[in-house]
Order: sequence, then structure tokens, then C-alpha cells
Amino acid sequence: WLLCFAMIRRVSTTSSLSATALGSFMKWSFKSSHFHGESLDSSVSPLLIPGVHVFHCPDVVGIVAKLSDCIAAKGGNILGYDVFVPENKNVFYSRSEFIFDPVKWPRSQMGEDFETIARKFNAMSSVVRVPSLDPKYKIALLLSKQDHCLVEMLHKWQDGKLPVDITCVISNHERAPNTHIMRFLQRHGISYHYLPTTDQNKIEEEILELVKDTDFIVLARYMQVLSGNFLKGYGKDVINIHHGLLPSFKGRSPAKQAFDAGVKLIGATTHFVTEELDSGPIIEQMVERVSHRDNLRSFVQKSEDLEKKCLMKAIKSYCELRVLPYGTHKTVVF
Amino acid sequence: MMMMRRIISERATCVSKNFVLRSSASRFHGESLDSSVSPVLIPGVHVFHCQDAVGIVAKLSDCIAAKGGNILGYDVFVPENNNVFYSRSEFIFDPVKWPREQMSEDFQAIAQRFGAMNSVVRVPSIDPKYKIALLLSKQDHCLVEMLHRWQDGKLPVDITCVISNHERASNTHVMRFLERHGIPYHYVATTKDNKREDEILDLVKDTDFLVLARYMQILSGKFLKGYGKDVINIHHGLLPSFKGGYPAKQAFDAGVKLIGATSHFVTEELDAGPIIEQMVESVSHRDNLRSFVQKSEDLEKKCLTKAIKSYCELRVLPYGANKTVVF
Repeated sequence: WLLCFAMIRRVSTTSSLSATALGSFMKWSFKSSHFHGESLDSSVSPLLIPGVHVFHCPDVVGIVAKLSDCIAAKGGNILGYDVFVPENKNVFYSRSEFIFDPVKWPRSQMGEDFETIARKFNAMSSVVRVPSLDPKYKIALLLSKQDHCLVEMLHKWQDGKLPVDITCVISNHERAPNTHIMRFLQRHGISYHYLPTTDQNKIEEEILELVKDTDFIVLARYMQVLSGNFLKGYGKDVINIHHGLLPSFKGRSPAKQAFDAGVKLIGATTHFVTEELDSGPIIEQMVERVSHRDNLRSFVQKSEDLEKKCLMKAIKSYCELRVLPYGTHKTVVF
Repeated sequence: MMMMRRIISERATCVSKNFVLRSSASRFHGESLDSSVSPVLIPGVHVFHCQDAVGIVAKLSDCIAAKGGNILGYDVFVPENNNVFYSRSEFIFDPVKWPREQMSEDFQAIAQRFGAMNSVVRVPSIDPKYKIALLLSKQDHCLVEMLHRWQDGKLPVDITCVISNHERASNTHVMRFLERHGIPYHYVATTKDNKREDEILDLVKDTDFLVLARYMQILSGKFLKGYGKDVINIHHGLLPSFKGGYPAKQAFDAGVKLIGATSHFVTEELDAGPIIEQMVESVSHRDNLRSFVQKSEDLEKKCLTKAIKSYCELRVLPYGANKTVVF
């Protein structure tokens, strides 16, 4: 469980500013005011860009005051703020969305300022992210035979709705080069690695080698169980889509299990992967109605539609820093 | 679903007094004295469950049309790979042209012809209301909901009695309500060794079905066989998740983002009988156990009421070993 959200802790210690990332965001002309620290023309409004900060620490008086003051002192304007302190639990969670002038508040300075507050409050987690400056999350996608989730993610990525860098796709099923997926990946220069698994050999070391530079992994209907060894070795978050409404129907063929059970609602669940199968902290769940008029085929079809939506929503939430650990196996999702 | 088989052999003969509003002369002479007075048409429902064959709908619809009945709604369901036929028809008819006993005989003839597993016809304004007993333990939100709906005329049943293994003081809302309406309350205390099923059986033997509205004792296979009719339960969780006790707490601890309630028929196995209805609501980190329970209770009330309403309207039919068709 400690492995989960490892990324969030890791990211807080890096403060990266990539000059090249600037190019993709700014459509306005580069005025010299940007680099000299003051406007040449006082009637030109500064370019404000969005930032997000999440904070997780033991609860005390004064956290919000300190955090908001930190942002205001640098001219940042808070546009959204979520605070959550659970009953009977002495922990504090906040997520703030703000806009700021990166001239007045340089990115590296921002990292340091929040780090100071994090130390002051002994934070378990303090992550700041400036989407237009920070590098995109690097992710690897793993799948087996069913590729509807992967296809959905690739298309959304292509449409700019999935703000990540897909480093590679790994599968234990081979795909012919003239299939939609293979041609898509080739067109976009994303490598596809066919790593067949057997009962005895899950080739986890090869997988680890391929994914070690990613920020998190997405199992988009990858049907092999990743061992505790792998999870420890990887050390970062792994998100899985389970095509059933957990904790019902764990394991294989949940659509068939649901069909046989005669339920009137089927669902999908996105969750963090832990050693125990289909038991990690749940991020998102969705349902749809079924009735006697549904056969196994339509159960599966509705299930697939739900999985796509549920996985996309969870990953979007995760990338927007909305997902935080809560207790031993729950999540706060702002 | 045993009730449905039983009703086939009953014929309801009493005519409801409270429905017919027009003058009665034409009704008893068999023809209109005044030809410009339109006949009183009343609703009927028929459900049919038999082996699939060609011509069932034709025969059933012809049966209704031949007696001047007008079909207003018709649901047919034949599952894939399963040679069974289900239908439910809603129609209006003139009980003068098609007397109630004749209706039963006519449908019975078709049932025999097709070897039906089930053929039930019901005329809500003429047939006696379903007689039900309600069982509960300590939590009474479901019972209160049902009693209020019954009082509002939204639950078309006769509540013969309420049975509980918890005692209630006479000045409580439930007790005063029951007293006001002349519904007996039976306190049947259970222990680990004695579930007093014989006494309960005796109290409920004349009912058409039972509703377990948060009755926390398990009814044995012996009881279910002895009773022989349908028992509907509300489980405050989304089956098959969280069977057994405290499903709201189980759900809270599991960190799910959706909680639900399930109405189902009771079988020997706990919380495993055919599901009739399920409902969900979103929960998040902002919910504590109290709000989990509150949302759960709201869902239970809606889910149980909907299931009972469907059941009374003959919308619920057995499907396979442990599923239901709900039209």
C-alpha cells in the first residue's frame, strides 16, 4: 500500500522547468517583458497561467491561511479550493487551483515555497504542478487481448484530451502490423512491445526495464497479475480498470459472473493496483442498468462502454492531482 | 413466484363497490338502457409464461379482442437460446361483456393449451387486494415508508399484520399508526436457538406474500417450504457485494464510490435469491459512516417500494434458476 501514491511524494522533490515546454503553450508574442521581470508597456496584462497544488498533512490550525498566503504573496489568484478534513481523523487534505504570473513567481521558486510549507507542517504529500510548464506525465499502457480501452485512450490522447506522453504499449498478445492499433502506434512513433507470458514466467523484469522511466502505469485490460515484487520494484502508481463493480465479481469474466447472478446493474471500477487482486484503493466507479432483455453480449458491450469512461475519468482525475490516499485503502477524489 | 401458481386456481367473485360511478341499471341487466351511455371499461393485466411456440400472441390477443377487450400495452420476451415465452398484457374491458369468472376460464383454457408454467390474470378493481404481512427488526424506516404509502393509497395491498422481534412502546409513531388503522403488531422475540418460525407461520399463513422490511433473522428452508409463497427482502447493499450484516459499514470500509440497495426473493441461501430491483447512489470521501447509512436507507425505501409495486402489478416473473424478468 505504501507503494501507492509513491509518485506523488517523488514529484514533490523535483522542480522541473523545461524551457522547451513553454513553446507549446504561449500563443502570444514573446514580449521582452517576460524575461526582464517587468512590463515595458504597463497596459499589457501579465500572462497568467494555471497551477495546481495538493497538500496532505496532519491537521492543525492555520494550514489554509499559510497556503493561501503563500499564493497571494506571489500575486497568485486562487480560483478553486477544496479542503477536506475527515471526522475522527487528524489529517488535512487540500487542493487549490490558481493562476499566477510566472515572471512574478518563477517555477523553481514556487517549488521551494511550497516545500517550505510542507516541511513546516510535516506534510505526507505536497505536490505542485503547472501543466503548461511541467513535463507531461510519462505513462506506459499494458493490455492483453481486449483493446477497446487502449483504443479509447489512444484516440483521446490524439485529441489532446489525455495530457500524457505515452512512452510505450506492452502486451502479452501479438498484434499484426496491419491492425488499427499497430498502424496508429507506428504513425505516432509509440513503440509496441510484445512480451508473451506463461504460467511460470510473467517476464516482470523485462516489463520493469521498459517502464522504469514512466511516472505511472495504466493496465488497460492487462489480464496478468503483477506481483508484489514488481510493484515494489516499480515503486510508482499502477492504475487498473476492472470490468465489474468491485468488490463484486473479482477476477475473470465479471460480465459473465454478473449475467449469471441476475443483477440489475452492472459496473466498472478503476483502482490502484496492490498485491491483492482487484482490491486496491478505488478511484472511480460507474454503473448502467441491465434487465432480462440483456444477453451476455449486451452485458459485455455495456461493460466495455463503462470501462472506457471509467478508466478515462480516473486517469484524468489522477493527472489533475485530484486523487489522494485516504486511510489504508481508500481515496480522496476532489 | 409461487403465489402466481396458486392464484390460477382461484376465482375472485366479489365486485368492488368503490369503483363503478355510473348508474347501476345497465350493469346488471347486461345491456345499456340508454345506448348513448358508454360502457364502463376497467383495466386488467395478464401475464403468461410457457414453452415457446408459434401462435401464442395470436391466441392471447384474440382471446382479449373476442370479448371486446382493448389491449393498451403488451410486452413479450423470449430469451436467446431458451425456449420459453413471457408476456404481459394490459387491457381495458367491459366486465359486462366479459365477466370476471369467464375471463379466468378463457385464459385458463389457453394456459392448458400451451402447457403454461404460469398464467395469471388480475383485475385490480375487482379482485381482492393482496394480503401481506410485514416483518422487521429494529430499523423501521422501511416499514414507515410502506405504511405511509399504503395510507396514501400508493401501495395497493391489505396489510394483515406487522411482526417484529423487537418490542415497541405503545406511544411510538409506528405503534400509534398501526393502532389507528387496526393493524395488529406481533412482538415475536427470537433467540439464537429459537426463531419461532412456527408461530410466525401461523400468523402469516393467510397472506399472499411476505415482505421483510429489514427483518434481520434468517428464515429457514423449512419455513419457506411451509409458507409456500413468495417472500421479498430488502438488502441494504448492492448484491452480491456486502452480503450479511452491516453492508453500509462494509461498503464504507471498502472505499467504494457507489452504494446501493437490492430487493430480491428470499431463498434458503442468505442474500442470494433472484434479484428484483437494484438502485445506487454516489458516495465520496466526504461521506462518513452516518451519511453512508442515511443514503443507504433512502435507497432501501425506494428500492423496496419499487419492487413491491412491480410485484403487485404482475411485472415480476421467474427467469432461469435465479434471475427475474421484470417487465
